[in-house]
Amino acid sequence: MADLGRAALVVSLGLSLYALAVGGYAAATNRRRLAFSARNALFCAFGSTLIAAAVLAVALVRHDFSFQYVAAHTNRTLPTQYALSAFWGGQEGSLLLWLLILTGYGALAVALNRTLLRDLVAWVVPVLGGIATFFAFVLVAVASPFDTQTAPVDGAGLTPSLQNPYMVAHPPMLYLGYVGLSIPFAFAAGALLSGRTDERWIVATRRWTLAAWMFLGFGQLLGSHWAYVEVGWGGYYAWDPVENAALMPWLAATAFLHSVMIQERKGMLKVWNMVLVALAFELSVFGTFLTRSGVVNSIHSFAKSPIGSWFLAFVVISSLFSVALILWRLPLLKARTKLESALSREAVFLYNNLLLVALSLTILWGVIFPIVTQLFKGESRTIGRPYYDFFLRSFGLPLLLLMGIGPLIAWRRTSVRALARVLALPAAAALASGVLLVVAGAGSSRPGLIAYTFSSFVLATIIVELVRGTRATGSLFALVSRNRRRYGGYVVHAAVVLLAIGIAGSSAYGSSTERRLTTGESMKVNGYTLTLRGIVHPPNQNATETRAVFDVHGRWNGTIMSGDNQYRNPPEPSREVGIKTDWLRAEDLYVIADDINTKTGVIYVKVLVKPLVNLIWIAGIVFLFGSLVALWPDAREQRRLVTRLAPARA
Amino acid sequence: MSLVALVLGVALAAGAVLLVALPFLREPEVADDRLDAPTAAEEERLGLIEERDRALGALKELEFDHRAGKITDDDYRRDIGPLRRAAAGALRRLDDTPDLHPQPVTETNRGETMSEIQPVPEPTPPPDEGTLPIPDPVTEPYPPPDEADLPTIPQE
Repeated sequence: MADLGRAALVVSLGLSLYALAVGGYAAATNRRRLAFSARNALFCAFGSTLIAAAVLAVALVRHDFSFQYVAAHTNRTLPTQYALSAFWGGQEGSLLLWLLILTGYGALAVALNRTLLRDLVAWVVPVLGGIATFFAFVLVAVASPFDTQTAPVDGAGLTPSLQNPYMVAHPPMLYLGYVGLSIPFAFAAGALLSGRTDERWIVATRRWTLAAWMFLGFGQLLGSHWAYVEVGWGGYYAWDPVENAALMPWLAATAFLHSVMIQERKGMLKVWNMVLVALAFELSVFGTFLTRSGVVNSIHSFAKSPIGSWFLAFVVISSLFSVALILWRLPLLKARTKLESALSREAVFLYNNLLLVALSLTILWGVIFPIVTQLFKGESRTIGRPYYDFFLRSFGLPLLLLMGIGPLIAWRRTSVRALARVLALPAAAALASGVLLVVAGAGSSRPGLIAYTFSSFVLATIIVELVRGTRATGSLFALVSRNRRRYGGYVVHAAVVLLAIGIAGSSAYGSSTERRLTTGESMKVNGYTLTLRGIVHPPNQNATETRAVFDVHGRWNGTIMSGDNQYRNPPEPSREVGIKTDWLRAEDLYVIADDINTKTGVIYVKVLVKPLVNLIWIAGIVFLFGSLVALWPDAREQRRLVTRLAPARA
Repeated sequence: MSLVALVLGVALAAGAVLLVALPFLREPEVADDRLDAPTAAEEERLGLIEERDRALGALKELEFDHRAGKITDDDYRRDIGPLRRAAAGALRRLDDTPDLHPQPVTETNRGETMSEIQPVPEPTPPPDEGTLPIPDPVTEPYPPPDEADLPTIPQE
């Protein structure tokens, strides 16, 4: 069946190329049937990619080791769900998933807008065709998942750390986010190519951007939780280049989601919005380049492969294309109005945008610094955590504050007196919580204290807005359903506050103790006493398990186990940490047992107490809920769009 | 390559070619093969509609911000006049463009071509831009403006 998969990919490549070349020609020469034909080619490209994906999925489930990819990433003992997750566990399979999502998204976006935005869609098709052509070419010519061999008895298996439920969901979520950013990019490019830079492309892609942003954000939180429970170093985000690769486009997309509201209301920032859309897309492809090229060291990256240079070329070409397009259409992107006051909601959004983009570019510099030093100095120098932490505090804390001010400040302009009046209550709440925190002993970390105080301020603004609205309308449901975008946004803001509290709590107020223990010895850590009871080997068919067993007394009484697994196929170790969650305090007791000597009963143990860390995971659920509220389809908005576009289509 | 895979691959390619050629198979001969793009007049009108929606949206936002206490009465009085004049101007310019009025589209008449949609009269008369309004005292801070609704003209 590998031949069928290969043939399907070749057909996808041909169809994508057709959508690019013929679609571009049809749009440029204004030929309707040819444009429809190119559009159909994009639809068919999705169909043929789906067949290729189905072939690989069947091969994975059936353990067909005549596929090199299947043999390299699975074995016979691998449970079906992890055999399927091997689809994105390797280079070639994940590229196929990318193409599948891209053509699927593209076909759906084009189908949904084919009537109302026909002139615009005619240009969107070749842009999407161009992106799909690149991925299909890489899959056909450089990294095919359908290369075959004489089938071995068994496969190499999946890396143990990837045999985790989070790895079933985390990568597809990220891909849905990364690839989703192609849609607003394609529509923005289509608007520029067609010269129709009115708001239609924004309205048409608003939900696509929101959905991509939601998947990317939630995917990152899933990945963080996976790192926390599976990688076992005690943290959830290490500023790893590949982790940063997902964060950068998310920050750019966040900036876009805010600045686009200014364009809708004021007709301003058209150039800026185009730049942000292009930046988010380019960063997502650049992130893929980082993950796959092997140019940076990361625990998340795939093995070094020749596709890196292809991706770099694609990033360069598409970036030049974007810049050239924006420069070409600058006259059409002139603002109709200007910023009326530095004290206005649009000004706050602008400050927020500058901070978000600055943070994104600062992270980018940190990511490419080793490459730059390698190029110019001959040695690769990396930037460590202090660099990122410094800029996270420098840009993140003001962002948190602006998140509270934004909803309270009026559009256009406001006076200092009015601003002081609306800020009084939330500011008082923030001040009171700050004082309480200092009294409670939270003043030991200034950034932590500021983060908590600002978080209180933002929460107070959200509560004030929701209470006022609910009182007026009589029900929270009615209030939110009347303006889902706004109130969904507030829920997302609440999620960011929870995230900030969780990060500040676990990093600024956490504690960590390392000790060498022998059986029967105890150690005390921040309200807990851990006594090493002994070392055991629980039965496991696929691995040799070694666990140190601790009796815990203090804020929680019980037993906790930590150790490692030595897998047989593939022969790799996996650290298995012990985590006890206190949901009332949102706190974790996190135990890492290392260098376990079964004969002598000696271990090295690191115990971390991480206050409020679980708010980070709760924030993920709140974030998902808020995003869904904001992007839930609204029939009235659709009618409004249709009504607005009717005269242009009559 | 196995025979089955060959047959399936050829079938896939043939199906794709058929679908790609479908627009030409459906309409071998057409009088007008141009893309249904807006004319310059329609583009201009689209711009006017955006301008109108923006002006009316700004009015609604101002009303809401005033009710919510985000701007003072003095600021409200200062800003309401220019905004109403802008909205009235946008409506007038839109009104001066004949035979291209906004048309309501319902679930039933939303189709492949929009030309079948019936025109309707302007929903409300433009505000009297000559009379600067004095805002009534408002006690109710909400409801907030519903951005999903079509903008409406503030009543005098």
